[in-house]
Amino acid sequence: MSQLQTRFFTDNKKYSVDDVPFSIPAASEVQELSNVINKLLEAKNGSHSQIEFDFLVRGQFLRTSLSNHMEAEGISTEDVVEIEYVERFTAPQPEECMMHDDWISSVEADSEWILTGSYDKTARIWSLEGKAVMTVAGHTDVVKDVAWVRRDGLTSLLLTASLDQTILLWEWNSERNKLKARHCCRGHAGSVDTIATDPTRTKVTGEEEEVVVEEPPSRPRKKQKTEQLGLTRTPLMTLSGHNEAVSSVLWLDSEEICSASWDHTIRLWDAETGSVKTTLTGSKVFNHISYSPLCRRLASGSTDRHVRLWDPRSKDGSLVLLSLTSHSGWVTAVKWAPSHEHQLVSGSLDNLVKLWDTRSCKTPLYDVSAHEDKVLCVDWTDSRLMLSGGADNKLYTYRYTACETDAGA
Amino acid sequence: ARPGSVLHPPGPVLHPPGPVLHPPGQALLCTPPTRPGPALYSTHQARPCSVLHPPGQALLCTPPTRPDLVLHLYSTHQARPCTPPALPSQDIRNTVGNIPMEWYQDYPHIGYNLDGKKIFKPIRNKDELDEFLDKMENPDYWRTVHDKTTASDIRLSDEQVDLVHRLQKGQFGDVNFNEYEPSVDFFTNEVMIHPVTNRPQDKRSFIPSLIEKEKVSKLVHAIKMGWIKPRKPKETTPQYYDLWAKEDPNAILGRHKMHVPAPKMRLPGHEESYNPPPEYLLTEEERMAWEQQDAEDRKLPFLPQKHSCLRAVPAFSRFIHERFERCLDLYLCPRQRKMRVNVNPEDLIPKLPKPKDLQPFPTTMSLVYIGHSSLVRSISASPTGQWLVSGSDDCTVRFWEVNTGRCMKTLEVGGAVKSVAWNPNPAVCLVAVCFESTVLLLNPGLGDRLVVSSTDQLITSYEPPEEDKEQAVTWALSEGPEHDNGHRLTLTHPKAVKQVVWHGKGDYLASVMPDNSSNLQVLIHQVSKRRTQNPFRKNKGLVQCVSFHPLRPYFFVATQRYVRVYNLIKQELTKKLMTNCKWISSMAIHPGGDNLICGSYDCRLAWFDLDLSTKPYKMLRHHKKALRGVAYHKHYPLFASGADDGSVIICHGMVYNDLLQNPLIVPVKVLKGHQITHDLGVLDVTFHPTQPWVFSSGADATIRLFT
Repeated sequence: MSQLQTRFFTDNKKYSVDDVPFSIPAASEVQELSNVINKLLEAKNGSHSQIEFDFLVRGQFLRTSLSNHMEAEGISTEDVVEIEYVERFTAPQPEECMMHDDWISSVEADSEWILTGSYDKTARIWSLEGKAVMTVAGHTDVVKDVAWVRRDGLTSLLLTASLDQTILLWEWNSERNKLKARHCCRGHAGSVDTIATDPTRTKVTGEEEEVVVEEPPSRPRKKQKTEQLGLTRTPLMTLSGHNEAVSSVLWLDSEEICSASWDHTIRLWDAETGSVKTTLTGSKVFNHISYSPLCRRLASGSTDRHVRLWDPRSKDGSLVLLSLTSHSGWVTAVKWAPSHEHQLVSGSLDNLVKLWDTRSCKTPLYDVSAHEDKVLCVDWTDSRLMLSGGADNKLYTYRYTACETDAGA
Repeated sequence: ARPGSVLHPPGPVLHPPGPVLHPPGQALLCTPPTRPGPALYSTHQARPCSVLHPPGQALLCTPPTRPDLVLHLYSTHQARPCTPPALPSQDIRNTVGNIPMEWYQDYPHIGYNLDGKKIFKPIRNKDELDEFLDKMENPDYWRTVHDKTTASDIRLSDEQVDLVHRLQKGQFGDVNFNEYEPSVDFFTNEVMIHPVTNRPQDKRSFIPSLIEKEKVSKLVHAIKMGWIKPRKPKETTPQYYDLWAKEDPNAILGRHKMHVPAPKMRLPGHEESYNPPPEYLLTEEERMAWEQQDAEDRKLPFLPQKHSCLRAVPAFSRFIHERFERCLDLYLCPRQRKMRVNVNPEDLIPKLPKPKDLQPFPTTMSLVYIGHSSLVRSISASPTGQWLVSGSDDCTVRFWEVNTGRCMKTLEVGGAVKSVAWNPNPAVCLVAVCFESTVLLLNPGLGDRLVVSSTDQLITSYEPPEEDKEQAVTWALSEGPEHDNGHRLTLTHPKAVKQVVWHGKGDYLASVMPDNSSNLQVLIHQVSKRRTQNPFRKNKGLVQCVSFHPLRPYFFVATQRYVRVYNLIKQELTKKLMTNCKWISSMAIHPGGDNLICGSYDCRLAWFDLDLSTKPYKMLRHHKKALRGVAYHKHYPLFASGADDGSVIICHGMVYNDLLQNPLIVPVKVLKGHQITHDLGVLDVTFHPTQPWVFSSGADATIRLFT
């Protein structure tokens, strides 16, 4: 077996080639296939410049030689092989490095500003260029999580959750650079480790790492903020059910809340009634979860080396769809790409940030080894920016170029 | 005293009535009771003498005229009595008996006559010359006999000479006695049924016996009645039986139960042929090799040889030898069946489940908590599992966030920290730290604010009792900057404290002050009442570590070689566990309370089942060096041990509720990561309270989390 009959196709009209079978050496790898496509495109269009392509055989990225891949996937070599090719996702380029005074516990960025929480008990607002704009100081203990609530023109609402068991809601005017603490949300009996705002930007969910005293079931709590004024807010609803600390929480949509806990479960809650809808049971402690509305899947990072993908809508619950295995330490942070249904980024205690494509579960697309210590948080923005912060007090930003073929964006 | 005076009193009155032994022990002096007078018997001849001469009769049959001759004849062993001839001279008889006459050498007399008068020696004794002259001149010299007893010469008469001649010839002394005269036997020599006696017949022989009649009538009656049966005639045919009657004569196996057939001879092959195919013939090298081999090592005991025809085959030279060896084989063949049980050695190993099936347990190192600058002696996890406290030789206590490895707090204390213990009660936020001779209770201020403040309230709400009792330690409340650092209570002990341990409810605290010479080694403190008591009156050895029973009021005290279990309510010793270890280093109690593990400095870990025995249920020797710390998991069936070889060994230790089932112990994982510093590896291990994670602190100043 030295030659394979292949047929190339792509969704991108710009790079489409004739739909005819080609005879390709079986031992050829991505680079050779890419050269073949480039040659074809050059023959078709004289002004074509060299482009790197990636190839998918039945939805899986080609990472080894073609024959090895087909053997591993159990694809017959007798038929004509359909190979899809896409423009290669280029490596993220390091952009800025923002120095903090202490470990960075959390980061959230939108199209204009970056908000980071730090172990020095403050949160900071940065411009995308890496300029420190504002320091949010008010907590008496480590800031564990931060979130943007909404932005009305120049005025933004932001949330910070802290180990001192409070969540503070701030109002920040970017033009005058004025910060005002609007509310203090109390009610947790432990450090508030994670908060999430619902898609309509009116409610916020804060979750705590519980310090349970007597009763075994600890109580994840949800705080809902209404438009009423007042300095101190109390929880609208408390979601009880997890046995141990809740490590991550998010809104699936405006009706559903998803929470991951140290008791090895991910639970889906009904936001109206506060009851558990589904429980996904894993075998390890969950550190972080992320949900992509594009592919409707949950990604979880846990205290082993794997990133696992779950389908929260599945009826039988605990089915792991896919395990992405390459890290060598705990996965502390996962985040789906905001504009790509297959891509996600993960940070781990092995100092690496990995960029994944779910179509290639054995090897990540790229390893980003900028950090010198544990990576604690990652984020993406729509504005082609990827962020990661860690225990080396540095927040790195990377610029990536999204492929135009990714139609899901 | 005169010789023989006792035996030989001069008067007849003095003679003793019984026989008296003469001093030389050869003659017996017998005095007949009727006639006093000495009679002499040779003791050699005592029996014939006494028979022939019963006392009192011998002298009677001896003629009184010749007592000397009687004596003489008796001494020549002539038993037969004879009548001596009459003597012409007067009767001189010496009564001294057959004694050596030398005894009278120095006396003028030579003895005593029958009347008790002395017999005097002749005036002149003959000398040799006189003797010779007498011999030459006296024609009667030959018949002269010297009588020593009277010292006189006696000339024998013709009759006496004749008698002597006859006796010398062996004839009877009496001439007239014909020994060959025909005799008529009065009694016949034949055995007679009715011997003839001349005894007159008894009267009863004429009268029929009544007793016999009775007896006969009884027998007749018994015969009539059939009680007595005539004797059966004796069977003369011999009685034989067949020894092998029951046996199947054909079954050789019947006789030998374990019959092993004799080894069969190998059938001859092509090699033995007189004309073997050429491939069976040995080449020259093979032949050389064959000859150099030992006879036992040879494959073939002979050399195959080729002969042109059967006639040319020579006689087998080793025939006798070969037959002998065959017989020897048959004889020496062990005819005994060895009953061998085929046991697969793997079946003997108990079936242990695979570690893979015993998950979850820690497998990989996940986090390293770096910050200490010296060896970390002790670690303890908070009851929620969110925080970890560690005490180090660099005189600091550090508080860590478990899931990130962040050091949240560092507290300087005044000495190398020997032990830290987080209060197991989740409603209280207190950490006990011991260094030097101080036990410090810290409030780290981590976790729920409510809990932190309620802990502070609990401590400040203490009211001292009316009467102030003298206590072994001084309780001091911290104030000022120390209070802001988290110091709450300081317990100053009289001696250096090695270990602190909390009771499961979190109110009682035990501290260990190892001291070989005093009973003040263990103190139990009650935090809420600030009381201290010394539970032991006697020193039972150097206390290594102590522990509270998780459920019942028991207290475990580990000395160098034993673990003693005390009942705190009854205040008595409940059990004494023999660890078989040289020196116990650490101890942990199973959360169920019925099992206990002990680590020792001689590389052993002993698991005790308290219900089973006081001896270890299992000894594990997986570590290469001294164990420093052991721990049980609160929920998972896991226990861990850390040792100086830098490794932590995780074992699955399942305890069943069923009392019949022994605990299942399977070593599942060796965790390595700590570097060995100054020959010290892992110093303490502790499990996460909820997750199957284990923390280990080492001499390389790090704490590691394995998940």
